[in-house]
Amino acid sequence: MHMDQYAVIMYVFFWVVRIRGCVRRWPQPLLRGPEWFFNVQVQPGFYEDEGRKLLRRYRTRMFIPFAVDIPLAIAIFLSGRLELLNWLILGLCAMIHINHSYSVDLAERQARPLAVPEAEQPVAAVLLSLTPRRLRDYSNRRVEWALGLSTLVALAWLVRYYFAAPEHHDLRRVFGTPVLMLYAQLGFLFVKRMVISWRSPLPQSQTAEHMAAREETRKYYLRVCDMNRAAAVAVIVFWPFTMDMGHAAFDRVYSVWFAVWLLISVVVGVWIEIKRKQLVDLALCARPVKLPDLLDQAENARWPVCYQPSVPMLLLKGARGYSLNLANRLTHLGAAYLAGWVVLFVVLPKGH
Amino acid sequence: MLLTIDTTDARPIYQQVADGIKELIAHGKLEEGAALPPVRQLAADLGVNLNTIATAYRELERDGLVVIKHGSGCEVAPRAATDRSHDELARTLRTALTELVLAGLPTKRILKMVIRELQMVGKEGK
Repeated sequence: MHMDQYAVIMYVFFWVVRIRGCVRRWPQPLLRGPEWFFNVQVQPGFYEDEGRKLLRRYRTRMFIPFAVDIPLAIAIFLSGRLELLNWLILGLCAMIHINHSYSVDLAERQARPLAVPEAEQPVAAVLLSLTPRRLRDYSNRRVEWALGLSTLVALAWLVRYYFAAPEHHDLRRVFGTPVLMLYAQLGFLFVKRMVISWRSPLPQSQTAEHMAAREETRKYYLRVCDMNRAAAVAVIVFWPFTMDMGHAAFDRVYSVWFAVWLLISVVVGVWIEIKRKQLVDLALCARPVKLPDLLDQAENARWPVCYQPSVPMLLLKGARGYSLNLANRLTHLGAAYLAGWVVLFVVLPKGH
Repeated sequence: MLLTIDTTDARPIYQQVADGIKELIAHGKLEEGAALPPVRQLAADLGVNLNTIATAYRELERDGLVVIKHGSGCEVAPRAATDRSHDELARTLRTALTELVLAGLPTKRILKMVIRELQMVGKEGK
């Protein structure tokens, strides 16, 4: 099979997964029952008038990524550069998640004026966990050792291979893909750090339920990050085997690799669906409450960005939605990381 | 291990944080050497300024209850005989007792309250 055909199969698989995502997100505003719109407790009759409009707008916004995707995909198919489908998938993954988060936040903000007034009063007491949350507290030592050692062995093999006859090997072909995968790993570690530092104040009522829902969600995202890291390491470990292969042998091995990859993706996809269902069930056990805004974020955080050096949060919840805190260290690291990707794409051309 | 912050409490937030941690240490729920969350984590969780939590931690450090290790967090200090003078310690007790007397409680009841609270701290501290 040609590489382009693999890209098309991946694109089809991506469509199956995203349609499932749409089916899951469609009833999300109503999961808590007709008295609720997402996590906002609404007045009776909400869905007969304004609520219906908000619901329709939320559902319409779900199709924005499709409106971006379809013309781009047609352009890619017409141009014949089907390898670009992989980048389209990556870009759309980010876009779908950002679009959904923004859409939910917007829908909730629009519904708040129609909420039950008592439910909109922030609770007086907040509980904080005194358990430190560090990267090492959420890492499995054995897994980390396995990932680290596999990467080191593969890289050592590649170094030895390259220096055995540097004049016959292309430096970028030998190290290009592993460097990209290592950088992707770094990105997932960065995301892990963000997930760990995600704020989690708890209300005084139903504390255990809220805590269980938050911790399970955190662990779920961390596990997804680790799976992606493991996938990046698998590519690094696989790469040395392809070095001296001819085209025919490479095609054969790649077919097997791709089939295994697809199978694992299906299994992981099923696991994600089951896990998400469990997380929703957990979240539904905890009644949403409004927590006090001790920083007056609604007034101080201007949309879409703000500069608040003394505030430790990456995102502040302003009156018009989330505001990215430009003074936060994670913002700087994130910007540096994205710049690093641009440099890598300029410096490293394709491998096989 | 949870710390409660009440927005209706008259004490400033840094004081509530410091007092809450002191209480957990006195009750033995936070043992010697136990790691406390970094200032950044606690401030982000609560949604307050970094200085608010830093002030609370500094107060705890001044009282010899925690050790702040720059770059590696903060932990509960080993219990040692305090170097604070008898007068200084008695002042805290005097303030609390004054409040109880001014609240109109009879001496017997105050004594009972003090003994009960002391027993509770002692019991939980074991």
